[in-house]
Amino acid sequence: MLKSLFALISCAFLFECAAIPAFAGTLVPLESVPVPPQNVQTPEKIELGKKLFFDRRLSGDGTMNCATCHDPERAFTDGLELSLSYPTTRNWRNSPTLINAAFQKQLFHDGRVRTLEEQALFPMMSAFEMNRNLDFVEEVIRSVPEYVDAFQKVFGGEVTRERMAMAIAAFERTLISLNAPIDKHLRGDRQALSEDAKKGLAIFRGKGRCADCHFGSLLSDDRFHALNVPENQEHRSDPRIAATRRFVAKVYHYEDFRNLTEDPGRYLITKDKKDWKAFRTPTLREVAKTAPYMHNGIFPTLDDVIEFFDKGGGKGNTVLKPLVLNDREKKYLKAFLSEALTGEDVVIRYPNVPDAR
Amino acid sequence: MAVGPTVKKIRDAYQGKIKLVVKNFPYILRDYSHIAAEASLAARDQGKYWEMYELLLARSPKLDRASLISYAQLLGLDIKKFSESIDGKKHAPEIERDKKLAADLYVFSTPTFFINGRKFVGDRPFESFKKIIDEELKSVS
Repeated sequence: MLKSLFALISCAFLFECAAIPAFAGTLVPLESVPVPPQNVQTPEKIELGKKLFFDRRLSGDGTMNCATCHDPERAFTDGLELSLSYPTTRNWRNSPTLINAAFQKQLFHDGRVRTLEEQALFPMMSAFEMNRNLDFVEEVIRSVPEYVDAFQKVFGGEVTRERMAMAIAAFERTLISLNAPIDKHLRGDRQALSEDAKKGLAIFRGKGRCADCHFGSLLSDDRFHALNVPENQEHRSDPRIAATRRFVAKVYHYEDFRNLTEDPGRYLITKDKKDWKAFRTPTLREVAKTAPYMHNGIFPTLDDVIEFFDKGGGKGNTVLKPLVLNDREKKYLKAFLSEALTGEDVVIRYPNVPDAR
Repeated sequence: MAVGPTVKKIRDAYQGKIKLVVKNFPYILRDYSHIAAEASLAARDQGKYWEMYELLLARSPKLDRASLISYAQLLGLDIKKFSESIDGKKHAPEIERDKKLAADLYVFSTPTFFINGRKFVGDRPFESFKKIIDEELKSVS
């Protein structure tokens, strides 16, 4: 009996091994949050960062704060195809989740920055996001005695934009979703995934080739790939989005910005031809909560995303090939994505923003 | 202000099917936000709330006292009553109740919408609202 059991286990093991191509990355559980030594976490800094995150003083007209586009009740996204924007303007890309952003090595869809501290100031000064001059916002925050005291206590000095960014980053490092079913499964809990999700995981690692790019603790290779995702038609129909597109291209010294009709992705940052229309592989953690999908929110559901990859990606891309998944395989893959990657709810206590009301 | 046209489109598209309730959330750093809120409620006292609401959205940011009085004249309001109301901050208690409600609901941005209890932040495209409203209408029908 024992010999038979051993043979069965061996066969099952070999089957699992055979199903995983050699190039698929490994999935690992989320572990502890990386914290830079230059910006250690303290409760006071986190609380200060949280206040700033919710403070409308950070926007030019006082209507917006970080939480406008990264809404705690929407998994720290805003649930729209194209992110919310400064009044009278339109954003041109989707708002990514901040949950687990602390683990990312590169931020924004085009990966233009590497740390949360660098990221925090961009939307503040962006003309189509919070539209606040950074020199001015320092003076606005300095006008608030409660903030002056807090900066003194936390940083031992005055309000500066760098310290504002450090505080906001410290808060964002607390937005971690733990104990997703996949983490439990990877730690050996064989009851953590439903049978359908387990089959989906096998497809994810095998025929679906998802783990070629979606691996590691964040299920992202933190690299950039041009999948030729279809353009969002709003880009064509709303001239305000065209204005945003041309503006960003101009800021990044793209010579032909006046005639730009599509989102060039990371190319604007690197000017490397291979990066034309390449975007960062997003994390798949919390994917069930962060529709719509892709850099431009073009796919409303996971079914749409699976169809896109099953067909081999967008027209003319050289990265993907058709997967030829049958309906059952698509169902299992969706079950894995929907069920396995959502951690415990990220619950925050809302702050008392100084003199906000 | 920016969402004004969208809200009008929603009201036109769903006439008779939805009820719009406006709560005041004047922001401390917007000079005229409190007096504009007072003006809207002073106009309500004289039966012209929605007319004043449209004017305030259309004419924003010209919401100083003199401008508000001119809007009241445009609407044919009793100017003496209107002026006494905004100068005396007659509706401050109601506005403070609205602000407290916003605080209790963790509202930090304007506009913030609650559609049958579901919260949505920001000036969103009409299609985004349509999807939610259609869902809610379907659920109650």
